Amino acid sequence: MTSQTTDRFSAGTITDFMRTYGALIGMVLVLLIFYWIKPTFLSPANIVNVLRQSTILIILAIGLTVVMSMRGVDLSVAQVADASGLIAAMLIIHGYSIWLAFTLPLVFGLAVGIVNAILMAYVGIPAIIGTLGMMFIIRSGELMATNGAEPQMLFTLPRAITKPFLFLGQGMVGPVAALVMLAAVVVVLALGLMHLTPFSRRARAVGSNVRAAFLAGIDIRWVFGCGFMVASLLSSIAGVALVSRTGIAMPRGAEPYLLDAFAAAYLGTLASRHGHMNIFGTLIGALFIAFLSNGLTIVGLGAPYRFALNGGFILLAMAVGSLKRKS
Amino acid sequence: MVTPLETAGPAHAIECRAIRKSFPGVLALSDVSLSIRRGEIHALLGQNGAGKSTLVKILTGVYQPDGGEIVVDGKRVQLRTPSDAEANGIVIVHQDQQLVAQFDVTQNAFLGREIISAGGLLNMRAMRRAAKIALDRVGANFSPDTLVRDLSVAQREQVAIAAALLRDPKVLVLDEPTASLSEAEAELLFSIVRALRDDGVTIVYISHYLDEVLDLVDRITVLRDGRLIETLDVAGVSRGDLVQMMVGREISQLYPKEEVAIGGPLLEVNDLRQGQAVRGVNITVRRGEIFGIAGLMGAGRTELAMALIGALPRAGGQVTIAGKPSDPGSPRAALREGFALIPEDRRHEGLITDMTVRDNLTLPNIARWSSFGLLNLSREVRDAKDLIGRLAIQPPNARQLTRNLSGGNQQKIVIGRWLLGDTQVFLFDEPTTGVDVGSKVEIYRQMVELARRGASVIFISSDFEEITGMCDRAAVMHKGKINSILERDELSTETLLLRASGNSGDEETADTAETVLPDTPDATITPAGSVLGNWGTIVGMVLVLCAITFFAPGFLNPGNIFDVLKQGSVLAFIALGLTVVLIAGGFDMSAGAVSQFTTNLAAGTLSAGMGSLAGIAIGGVAGIVLGFVNAALVLILGMPPFVATLGTMFVTMGATLLYNGGKALTLYNQPEFFFLGQGYVGPVPFVFILLAIVTLVLHIVLRKTRLGLRMYAVGQNLAAAELRGIRQKRYAFASFALGGLVLGLSGVVLAAYSYGASALATGIDFLISALAAAFLGSTLSKAGDLNVIGTVVVALFLASLSNGLIQIGVSDQALPGIQGIVLIIAIALGVIRKRGIGQVLIF
Repeated sequence: MTSQTTDRFSAGTITDFMRTYGALIGMVLVLLIFYWIKPTFLSPANIVNVLRQSTILIILAIGLTVVMSMRGVDLSVAQVADASGLIAAMLIIHGYSIWLAFTLPLVFGLAVGIVNAILMAYVGIPAIIGTLGMMFIIRSGELMATNGAEPQMLFTLPRAITKPFLFLGQGMVGPVAALVMLAAVVVVLALGLMHLTPFSRRARAVGSNVRAAFLAGIDIRWVFGCGFMVASLLSSIAGVALVSRTGIAMPRGAEPYLLDAFAAAYLGTLASRHGHMNIFGTLIGALFIAFLSNGLTIVGLGAPYRFALNGGFILLAMAVGSLKRKS
Repeated sequence: MVTPLETAGPAHAIECRAIRKSFPGVLALSDVSLSIRRGEIHALLGQNGAGKSTLVKILTGVYQPDGGEIVVDGKRVQLRTPSDAEANGIVIVHQDQQLVAQFDVTQNAFLGREIISAGGLLNMRAMRRAAKIALDRVGANFSPDTLVRDLSVAQREQVAIAAALLRDPKVLVLDEPTASLSEAEAELLFSIVRALRDDGVTIVYISHYLDEVLDLVDRITVLRDGRLIETLDVAGVSRGDLVQMMVGREISQLYPKEEVAIGGPLLEVNDLRQGQAVRGVNITVRRGEIFGIAGLMGAGRTELAMALIGALPRAGGQVTIAGKPSDPGSPRAALREGFALIPEDRRHEGLITDMTVRDNLTLPNIARWSSFGLLNLSREVRDAKDLIGRLAIQPPNARQLTRNLSGGNQQKIVIGRWLLGDTQVFLFDEPTTGVDVGSKVEIYRQMVELARRGASVIFISSDFEEITGMCDRAAVMHKGKINSILERDELSTETLLLRASGNSGDEETADTAETVLPDTPDATITPAGSVLGNWGTIVGMVLVLCAITFFAPGFLNPGNIFDVLKQGSVLAFIALGLTVVLIAGGFDMSAGAVSQFTTNLAAGTLSAGMGSLAGIAIGGVAGIVLGFVNAALVLILGMPPFVATLGTMFVTMGATLLYNGGKALTLYNQPEFFFLGQGYVGPVPFVFILLAIVTLVLHIVLRKTRLGLRMYAVGQNLAAAELRGIRQKRYAFASFALGGLVLGLSGVVLAAYSYGASALATGIDFLISALAAAFLGSTLSKAGDLNVIGTVVVALFLASLSNGLIQIGVSDQALPGIQGIVLIIAIALGVIRKRGIGQVLIF
């Protein structure tokens, strides 16, 4: 045991330190540049603002991380979030109870997750293809339901009707925004799921060596399928939260989050010793992406830079990750 | 490379002089000197680990010897690569014939050394003629046009030998050629081998089966523990002599065998069958018994174990455990019934090397350490440490990653994970290969310990010494059957070796050679197979179009048809580019984004007044550059294609928005450029003519040139391609670049079609139709492989489907969803029988 502990901490050389924490330091440096250009970037008000905005991305990216840690991938997460928000908004607009507006989208999310699980885990369709197909099926459904992407506005409704629904996105629990609370709860639950449950071990086994996991008596299809169910369920939560924050459900409005979520998950691998997908890393990655896009907006750079930088960061994370794995 | 002869031995095809080779910790060959005479069949014999394969790998240039020299035809040579060996006339036919299943026999035979005609195209006629001659020499009864995937295992063996003959070998090495053949097929092979010898080919023959060796060969060399024991003429040699030479020692190791009280029968197996590998096995194993299953490679031992635990489907037979019928559908169900498997391939099937010692030890029974859904980590660590102590795992650290442990310690972990459950039957499949002596003894001890606790231990091994040392009884398995069961006092290494190599006296022979194709249970993206035959897709598409015509008669108006062709052509271009990338085994998330980027570039170039040609050139060049970027990320940095192209997709989308500033680039008054996308030649849209030309050119490049053939080979069977000296990098690079060019040009066509570029940056949108076209198109070819003509046909079909549905009155908002469904169905048809899960390479 002692030999091992020294082994873990003898990594005190600079290269090893950089290998472990270099990415984090890099992220902080990038954010400090924005601070240097525009000091308001790190003002408390802006930080709180970004934290609230980042909730949706955090939840989506965590769902994606669960799938990707098993070598799956889910391209439909943003579309599920989109459709879930839409369902919530339409339920409220058509006078259904708030209770239903919170639960029915989650039922929808779970249902999509189950279909994805069947397609990928039981039929065996490669996840890139199957979830891409699912993404387009949901998109068609949305377009038809909204007569070609008409926005569903909640803020034009009487405040009394929408208030309980908008509380999630706009209210405060004591000194903390309800959205931030939601993100914290999801992060804690996800950390628990992926570190403290029997599922976490099985999922890691499926992600590392599916054949060995199968022969060790693990129900690989069920475990792999669970990943899709978790991802879709979390996406629907994120979608409801998004609409609750903005008060408007724009069909296809959540699609940009897909690419951000990928960037967050891949950046998150940098926070792991061996370059694996992990919840904590994804949290860091999502926060970084959220602050980055806010910073870009503050200094007057728009979507093009966000896309390009996100893409660049994914490639960078992969390049660094492959160096880590080689060592 | 070739130095002049020193001592000529013209009678000798190959001479090995004092060859020495060591691996870390093992001396694989020590001072092996042997001469192979010209025109003889020379057998290499030896038990597993005797050094046969090391010697063969040295002769074929795969390994470099640490000492000694090789003399070919009297000249000293250095064989640095397999092609050096081939240049010296030494050609090997590997045991698992690596052939590209979707290629025909001719293409396989000439892959890597194609005959090119003057025009730069493959000279198929010359190759077919030569292949036919070679096939005749090996007595094949199929034509050189047959697809390899339609051949039996024995016929594939013939193809492999024919391909070797085309290399004009002086020495042909056959490595275990009969391992997966039936008796009748083996007989055919022997006559082929004899005919080749009579033609003057020298043959080195490696086999475990003594009978066939004695029948077939002229001289025999026996290796044992990396030493050459003797080279002798076959005349006058008996099987007994050979066995004596192969075994040749008293039991040297101390086996911790203990007498344990043996109880009643626990596991009864009755006529168990599995595919072609297990052909009716009957055994009864008692409680407290260590029951050996001795057999050589290919005897069906592993398949027997896999069938018992439900990892392979059974073809028949009954199994009972403690009197209860057992037919588990998965290893998980088998675990509940009381089975545990310690698999043969420890690193790939046993351990999860990315996980720690503790994680591996507790994996199968992990629920045992959880309460209310949460793991009790401290209790788990305590139990894991107990196991580490019990098994003497070194280092005794529960948090160590198992990847870095020695073979013996890894094996102890795989065993240890079953010790805490309720397992009654333990299946040890070759547990001691690659394990140091100390760990071996520990593993044997654990077997005894398990037996003492009343479990049944099934010990599968090809090391007959350890079977003799450890087992209470042993069954000998040969070609899928148990050919004898030996009691403890009958066990000896010699007997086991004799029986395992096929001498039981009462074996049935002449099973009809009905070999099934080996299925590949991987979950990679492969073209949809022949589930519905070659015509299913076509019939389906025609039916759909008929239905549309029925509801919307206007659909078949010539004007509408040409409209559809025009609409569909643009999509078809993008799908073509993607198909080219997919063919060599790549993937391209960025296909849509790239074509959108070049749409903007082309539109921008034209609105800057630089003319159509400049627009086309810039679009094409940008496409190639992005293709190179993708290729570099995948092939040089080693990123999985999905991630690399996802990154490129982002960057390209950003570049598009930067370029157009978020605004549409609409073109005016560019009639000659618009002609590309909107013009007509007579009634026919020009863009469709362009599509036809591009498709034809791509078809020729991919199917009729060496470049295309090798791109396919790299994508479909990388191992086969590499064995023939085809380097993946070069051809995968070519496919990314060619695909990039087509994608770049597709963007130009899109700009001409839509009078400029739209402001959106929707990289994924085109991807779905393109993927659907490529994969559904693959079902249109005879071999079920990706092909440009199929892609174009399906792309045009998807366009007519959209057009028709809108005419029927279906909202165009439903179209993306319908394409999604088409894509999922197309893929599902191809993968459903593989029974994998849809994992992808994402790191």
